[in-house]
Amino acid sequence: MKKLWRDMSRGDCSVILVLFLIALIGLFWQANAPTGARLIVGDGDQVSFTAELHQEQTVDLEGPLGVTRLNISDGAARILASPCPRKICISMGSVQRSGELLACVPNRILVRIEGVAEEGVDYDLLSR
Amino acid sequence: MLSRARILGLIAILLLLAWWRLPSTQDELRRSRLVMGTVVEIVASGDATQGLDVAVSAAFDEMERVERLLSRYIADSELSRLSQQAGPFTLSDEAAAVIALGLDVAKRSDGAFDLTLGRLNDLWAIDSASPKLPTPAQLAEAMRGIGPEALLLNGQTLKKRSAALELDLGGIAKGYAVDRAIAVLKQHGVASAAVNAGGDMYLLGELHGRSWRIGIQHPRQTNASLETVQVSNRAVVTSGDYERFFEQEGQRYHHLFDPKSGLPARGCRSVTVIADSVALADALATAVFVLGPRAGAELLHNYPDAEGLIVAADGTLSSSAGWVNYQAAP
Repeated sequence: MKKLWRDMSRGDCSVILVLFLIALIGLFWQANAPTGARLIVGDGDQVSFTAELHQEQTVDLEGPLGVTRLNISDGAARILASPCPRKICISMGSVQRSGELLACVPNRILVRIEGVAEEGVDYDLLSR
Repeated sequence: MLSRARILGLIAILLLLAWWRLPSTQDELRRSRLVMGTVVEIVASGDATQGLDVAVSAAFDEMERVERLLSRYIADSELSRLSQQAGPFTLSDEAAAVIALGLDVAKRSDGAFDLTLGRLNDLWAIDSASPKLPTPAQLAEAMRGIGPEALLLNGQTLKKRSAALELDLGGIAKGYAVDRAIAVLKQHGVASAAVNAGGDMYLLGELHGRSWRIGIQHPRQTNASLETVQVSNRAVVTSGDYERFFEQEGQRYHHLFDPKSGLPARGCRSVTVIADSVALADALATAVFVLGPRAGAELLHNYPDAEGLIVAADGTLSSSAGWVNYQAAP
C-alpha cells in the first residue's frame, strides 16, 4: 500500500481528490433529496400557501366568496368548510398522493399535492 | 492489497452513483389553473433551456382566450352575443369551425349530441346550489325547437330557427380549448406535454421516452381505475354520470341530458373516447353516453380514427375493436 502511494504522482493524487469530492457531493445531494409530499395552494401562477403534509394544521384560505377552511392531518389534506354553493370541494374528501388535487372552483381555491409519486399507481394521469 | 487501478475504479463507481443521482438536464413543469369552470393541469417536459414556463403560461392564456370566446357565462362572449341575436350572425373562423364540428357530430349521432341545450341546462341548474327536478311542462318548454336542424350554418353565417334558442358548447368548447393549448405548446417548441381540463386531455409526444399512461376512472369507485391505456399524440376524454349530479329520492340526476327526453341519459355510467382531437373526443364521448352502449358503439364505428370504452348502466364493459391497441399490459 505504501509503495502504491509512493508511486503516485502529484497529478494522480489531484485527480483522485477531485473525483472523491465530486462523488461525496453527489452522495450528500442524494441523502438530502426531498422525500416527503407537500401541499401547494394557489390559482394558476400565484402560490398563496405551502405546507408539509406531515405538519398537522388547519388554515383559512381567502377567496372571492370568503374563507375556505383547509385541514392537514394524518398525512392528508381535506376541505372542512367553504362558502361555495354546492360544497363539492368538501365532498371531494381527502387527498394525499402526489398529483392529486382539491379544487373549489367558485372560490378559486386550488390545492395540489406534490412530492414522491405513490407506489402502486401505474398511470401518469387519470381520465375522469 | 488495493492496486492503483482498483482505487481509481472504486472512485469511478462512486462518481457514477453521484452522477446518476444528480438533477437531470431534462426539466418537467407541472402547473394548474382554474379555467372554464374546471381545473386545468399542464405537464410539460423538455430541456430546461426551452422556456417551459413561458410556454405553459401562454397555453393557459390561450385557453382563457377560448373561454372568453365560447363561454355562455361571459356576457360579451361571441356565444352569448349569438344566443341573444335573432337574425343571421357572422361567426369568427374559430367559432364557426367549432360549431361545424359540433353540428356534424350532432347529425351523425341523430341528435344525441346537441349544441342547443342552453335553456335545458339552465332549467336543471345541475351546478347550482339548488338543482331541481323540472316538471314535464317545463321540460317541454326548454326543449322547444332544439336539435341539429335548429341551427343553419352557411360558411361563417349562423342562423337560429328560433330566436329564443340558446347555444351551449359545453360538450365541445373545453376540448377545443385543450386543442388550442397544445397548439401553443407546439409553437413554443414543446415536444412532450399533457393538458388535462377536468378529464378532457391531450397527450403530446412521450413522457421519459415512453407513451403516456392514462388511467380510466372507475365510475363507482372513487379511488380506483378501470384500466390503463398507453397513448401518444392522442386525445383522451371521459364522460361519466359521477362528476356533476344531485340525488333526489334515491335517484341520481346527472348533467348528460338526452335531448329527446330532456332527462339524464340512463344507458351508461361512463364513456371514454380516444381520438385525434380533444374537441372531437369530447363531442363523441357525450354522444355515445347519450346513445347508450349499442347505438353508441355503432356511432364510434363510423369514426375509424376514434376508439372507445363504454361502461353500461349495469356496469358491463364494452369497447370498440381498436381499443385493445391502446390497452397497457396489466
